[in-house]
Amino acid sequence: MPLLDVKDLKAGYGPVNVLDGMHLHVDQGEFVVMLGANGAGKTTTMRAISGLIPRHGSIVFEGHDIHKASADSIVRSGIAQVPQGRGTFPELSVEDNLLAGAYVRHGGDGVHDDMDKWFAVFPRLAERRAQRAGSLSGGEQQMLAIARALMSRPKLLLCDEPSLGLAPLITQELFAVLERLNRDEGLSVLLVEQNANLAMHIANRVYLLETGQIVASGSAEELGADDAIRKAYLGF
Amino acid sequence: MKSLATIREGGAANWAFRIAATVVVFALVLYVPTKTGAGTIQTAIEALVLMGAAMSLNLLLGYTGQISIGHSAFLGMGAYTTGILVSRYGWSPWYTFPVAFVLSFALGVIVSFPASRIKGVYLALVTLALALVFPQVVTWKKLSWLTGGGSGLPTKDAQVADTGFNIGAASRGQMQYFEIFGWNPLGDLRKPDNKAAFWYWIAVGVVVIIYLVCRGLVKSRVGRSMVAIRDNETAAAVMGVNLVATKAFVFGISAGLCALPGCVTAIKTGGVSPEGIQSLTVRGAITFLIVMVVGGAGSLWGPIIGAAVYVYVTDITGGWASDEAIPGVLRPFFGWAKIPPSDGIFAVLLIVLMFVAPRGLVGVWRQYSPRIVRVLPRPAGTTGAAPVAIAATITNTHSEGEHE
Ligand SMILES: Nc1ncnc2c1ncn2[C@@H]1O[C@H](COP(=O)(O)OP(=O)(O)OP(=O)(O)O)[C@@H](O)[C@H]1O
Ligand SMILES: [Mg+2]
Repeated sequence: MPLLDVKDLKAGYGPVNVLDGMHLHVDQGEFVVMLGANGAGKTTTMRAISGLIPRHGSIVFEGHDIHKASADSIVRSGIAQVPQGRGTFPELSVEDNLLAGAYVRHGGDGVHDDMDKWFAVFPRLAERRAQRAGSLSGGEQQMLAIARALMSRPKLLLCDEPSLGLAPLITQELFAVLERLNRDEGLSVLLVEQNANLAMHIANRVYLLETGQIVASGSAEELGADDAIRKAYLGF
Repeated sequence: MKSLATIREGGAANWAFRIAATVVVFALVLYVPTKTGAGTIQTAIEALVLMGAAMSLNLLLGYTGQISIGHSAFLGMGAYTTGILVSRYGWSPWYTFPVAFVLSFALGVIVSFPASRIKGVYLALVTLALALVFPQVVTWKKLSWLTGGGSGLPTKDAQVADTGFNIGAASRGQMQYFEIFGWNPLGDLRKPDNKAAFWYWIAVGVVVIIYLVCRGLVKSRVGRSMVAIRDNETAAAVMGVNLVATKAFVFGISAGLCALPGCVTAIKTGGVSPEGIQSLTVRGAITFLIVMVVGGAGSLWGPIIGAAVYVYVTDITGGWASDEAIPGVLRPFFGWAKIPPSDGIFAVLLIVLMFVAPRGLVGVWRQYSPRIVRVLPRPAGTTGAAPVAIAATITNTHSEGEHE
């Protein structure tokens, strides 16, 4: 049974559905990448899974249908999202951002241990722990957004274009961390990207999204081997 | 940035500063009722009422980012609850405070539900409507059996005394003494100075309670979720913050707290009506907003400083409508309008502040005080105990500035 199983998902922002019957799944411990052009509906997919917008169809997470659940109960059930753009709280310190990430844990055991753990993973953040998040660089803010999402101890991490606006080197650093978390900690990841090259490198499986529909899926090699797909979607 | 000196947070110098600031605040609070007369004390009460209202608005707007131009209605809820219970049902004013809090909390929660679906300018308009409707409702003829209609409700001393404003002592028919189990700290209350001092201490109590609630809230887990909502609603939602419930709660607390200074105005003014208490008209709501922004939104001390400055300036310039009262050098600038210029002064101050210091007077302090003395945060990982709770309560502006 997949960790996350999405079937016939319909969602949008008004009368018109952006997603019109989408299917996708993420297995336990899998690293799945979703590629698609601007406006394809990647962010909408993430929002629908996280319960931020109205949606229909079935979204089963660990055997429970969550398509009617509220956003906060979805976080509590183990799905954390790193929203697109700089999703940090600029007026809170780095530390308080991380504490905010542990919001659903009610300050329970191990919050500070977890904080130290993510500071070890992202030493740049540790150096700036008392600083306002708004004064961090774009890359540091993206690291903070990821660390903050991890503070809720998710089983599945949804990551919406973490590379947006980052230098290639920083992006690589970030992806390396995600890959390590996936490999060493068994964290399941659903990552949205435009940057096909880098992302496909670390993915177990790739989805191609076009105007709200999955048009192709498979391993990176499979998709890369298909000339038509490669030219149309991957651009290499 | 260069600074003249550097001290460590929680170190001796830092504590010396905190204690000094605490002493100054205590001295000021004690100075007014003991060394000045009824007039000054009345002005100070006005400032305290404004502080309470602006602090409660600050929870909602400064910390949670939800605008309200309707807080005058919540203050009015307090004033009318006290007015009605005291003059119609013969309650002691003491007991009206919690009732006012609860009723206003409920009204706040009700308002929050439409409010949690709308944002920015639309929310401003909805809450403005609340401020405009409130005086209409309480002066409505059909409700005059309860609210006294246009002429309002009297809450005269005699009634206050008859219903026993004394704690632990039988009421004496006339309000003569404020007794706490046989001890009367304020002396004969028939003297105007002593009576003013009596209302003053009640107002101080209300402000301290509101301050402590605000402080407790913003430093808690809920406080972080409030700032999270203000800064980035989507991110707050994916953090597991229940937006609707949190906004409803903050609206409720903010409204409930704002009712408390309303109760104070009801008993100290001696009557409740929209004409008698301007703070419960839309003018009040706008004043709270100005006070909060001038002092510094999103900081615990901002509204306190804002209200003090506002009332001080209003008081000084109150007589400036006639030329003789205006200090010589300023005469060319004021007096021509033939009305007290405090509104104009604040309008200009507001515009200037929005450009040079959008975080108000507290923001100016935070920006420039490090040039003189820089407070280094504690080394990572040590939270440190707080030896003197009161000192920490009163002087947190300093350490707070380093983290927020
Ligand atoms: N809040 C909104 N209200 C109305 N329409 C929206 C909203 N957000 C997105 N859309 C529309 O939904 C469609 C899909 O948007 P979405 O944000 O999911 O794209 P995306 O794949 O994430 O694109 P990008 O790579 O640019 O982030 C777009 O046509 C967009 O105009
Ligand atoms: Mg997107």
